[in-house]
Amino acid sequence: MIALSDALSFLLYPFAASVAFVLIHAYLGVHVLRRNIVFADLALAQLSALGATVAFAFGYAPASPAGFAYAFAFTTLGALLLTATRALARFVSQEAFVGILYVAATAATVLVVDRSPQGAEHVKKILIGSILTVEPPELIKFAVLYGAIGLLHWFARRPMLAVATEAEPAGRSPLAVSLWDFLFFLSFGVVVTSSVTTAGVLLVFSFLIVPAVIGSMYSRAVPGVLAIAWAAGIVASALGLAGSFVLDLPTGAAMVVAFVLVLVLAGLAKALMFVPAAQRRRNGRIAANAAAVLALVAVLASSLWLIFNPGADQPLLAMLERATGLGPASFLDGTDRASYQEANRDAARFQQEVASLNAKERAARVGSPLSDEEVRRVASYQQSFNEMARGELFVEDVLRAKARRRERWMVGLPAAVLTLAGLGLLMRRWGRHA
Amino acid sequence: MGVVTLIRAAGLAIALTAALAFAAPAQAGLRVVAATTDLAAIATAVGGDLVSVETIVPAAVDPEAFEPRPGDFEKIRSAGLLVRVGLGYDFWLDKLVRQTGDARLMRGGETYVDASTGIPLLEVSGQSVINEGGHAHGVANPHYWLDPENAKIVSAGIAEGLARVLPGERARVAANRERFVADLDRAIARWSAQLAPVAGVKLVAYHNSWPYFARRFRLDVTDFIEPKPGVAPSPAQLAHLVAAGKKAGVRAVVHEPYEPEDAARFVAQKLGVPFVLLATSAGSVPEAKDYFAMFDHNVAALAKALGVPTQ
Repeated sequence: MIALSDALSFLLYPFAASVAFVLIHAYLGVHVLRRNIVFADLALAQLSALGATVAFAFGYAPASPAGFAYAFAFTTLGALLLTATRALARFVSQEAFVGILYVAATAATVLVVDRSPQGAEHVKKILIGSILTVEPPELIKFAVLYGAIGLLHWFARRPMLAVATEAEPAGRSPLAVSLWDFLFFLSFGVVVTSSVTTAGVLLVFSFLIVPAVIGSMYSRAVPGVLAIAWAAGIVASALGLAGSFVLDLPTGAAMVVAFVLVLVLAGLAKALMFVPAAQRRRNGRIAANAAAVLALVAVLASSLWLIFNPGADQPLLAMLERATGLGPASFLDGTDRASYQEANRDAARFQQEVASLNAKERAARVGSPLSDEEVRRVASYQQSFNEMARGELFVEDVLRAKARRRERWMVGLPAAVLTLAGLGLLMRRWGRHA
Repeated sequence: MGVVTLIRAAGLAIALTAALAFAAPAQAGLRVVAATTDLAAIATAVGGDLVSVETIVPAAVDPEAFEPRPGDFEKIRSAGLLVRVGLGYDFWLDKLVRQTGDARLMRGGETYVDASTGIPLLEVSGQSVINEGGHAHGVANPHYWLDPENAKIVSAGIAEGLARVLPGERARVAANRERFVADLDRAIARWSAQLAPVAGVKLVAYHNSWPYFARRFRLDVTDFIEPKPGVAPSPAQLAHLVAAGKKAGVRAVVHEPYEPEDAARFVAQKLGVPFVLLATSAGSVPEAKDYFAMFDHNVAALAKALGVPTQ
């Protein structure tokens, strides 16, 4: 077991980085939502990756000044192109153009990597990120950069918001609008470029969009949206990091799931708590009904699946079996049950044998060495054990199918009848209320 | 444009094509196509001037993330001998070969060499999704070329394949192979001597690419930073890695090319040990130009990181 102090020492910097990311990204997310171009961050991040890859192809490290200059030049190009999309918005959604920019940049990156393969590592890094291994120097860099950009946005907040919200802002010349647009996309690009190599595209997208969506659910005024977005983002980050540690999960993916979870909870809370009393009761009823119908339909579908195809995978039944400890063995007669349990035990034993042979060979690498002949013998034993384990698993499958053929009448049929009755009851009550 | 000009242009085009065709170098012997640079190097050594060797996965491209292109299909179709890694490592080759429809290039065919044949395999596990030769036997760790002794077995397989295709050259192939094995033996003695002072040293690696290398040079790779490729380590895993690594006395973190370095550098820093980038294939780092240079580089880098005095 890992001590709490260890956990804290591992999660402190990632949490600090997450807070910095939430503060700047949630703010930019509010703009991006108003501009209706939620994937612009992906397009800009990919363009900056393309810049870094091109720099690599010319022999500069991504972290060098030249590498940064290339990435910045491509980001600027992206900002220019995105600025031009306002003119296109008259014909077609801006998002379509953003999508094209993204795939074009991604494909170009692949083609450049093909010519200069060492850049591949950088592309992978942008996809996955590694927020877990963020270091204090990077934190300082983020703080300074985001502070400067935050300050810029504070001074320019009025025109920035006006051009984000309106298609043709009143009292502003087209040139001024384009300039503000460009400034927004450029600062946005710089932020995303810096965060994406640390957090990865999935997590950056979550930082950007999810808190802003939660804030927009609860408030219309920008200060209100921002306060709620920041709080929700920080809570979601803490939740994701803690979950990643406690449940032993990859950090980036766990954080993305935590953000979505907080969004769902915020949506439920909005519908069930933050509305007038009458509406709240109505929403509560709808939610309860929907949940009941969903659950009943899932059970009904699963029991029909069991009745018509007992030998196939039964995911819901398998979950139930695991939860109750009532496995297929309970539905077999004496000899079959014994064979099922034996197959179960033997499969585990054979897999254990393979693992222990591995351990033995591994130890011999530094202990008294095994000759090639001995290694070959170990490998052939392992192959035999693998095949034997496979055989036992096959026996298990056959017996499980047999058990399920019985279960379909003992479990499937009653479950189907009960859920049908439950659904009928719900429908009638619904009819009365409507 | 008049008709005359058109005819003239066409004539010029034909003349150019013909000139190009004649200018192409004459076929230097049998075309051997190897899946990776390592196998290509061994095939070159065994084939000598009887063969011209081409590689499918270019040097410095991650073979496990390789995407074939149209030219590769052409390469394989015209191959006089096809040498592959096997063990599911170059699974994409099956589809290309199937598309050629040439039975000689398929498993058991005259021009097919699976270089993994006869290798003492390590870490044979049951979780295989690749069904090789109609019977799923589980799959072993595929990085066998990282043990230079295994290159002898690989070279024997290639020599056998060449003798099948060029029966008249059996003696020359055998002589080439003997020379290669002798060179290899001298080099292995040198590499082993260089790493002998650190036999049994404990290392942490990024992926599980080193069992064969570790067996040959008596290294103890105790743990991996990313045991499942593509799934980032969890914080608990990293914390455990660092705690266990400190306790066990791990002395370096070994990293493969093509993978982001942050996590490995982070672990190395937490452990207070050097970070070493080792080549997994000839050409995967600039210093490892060929098969021998790869071991020269790996052995020297490791020795330096572990503080072995240079001889």
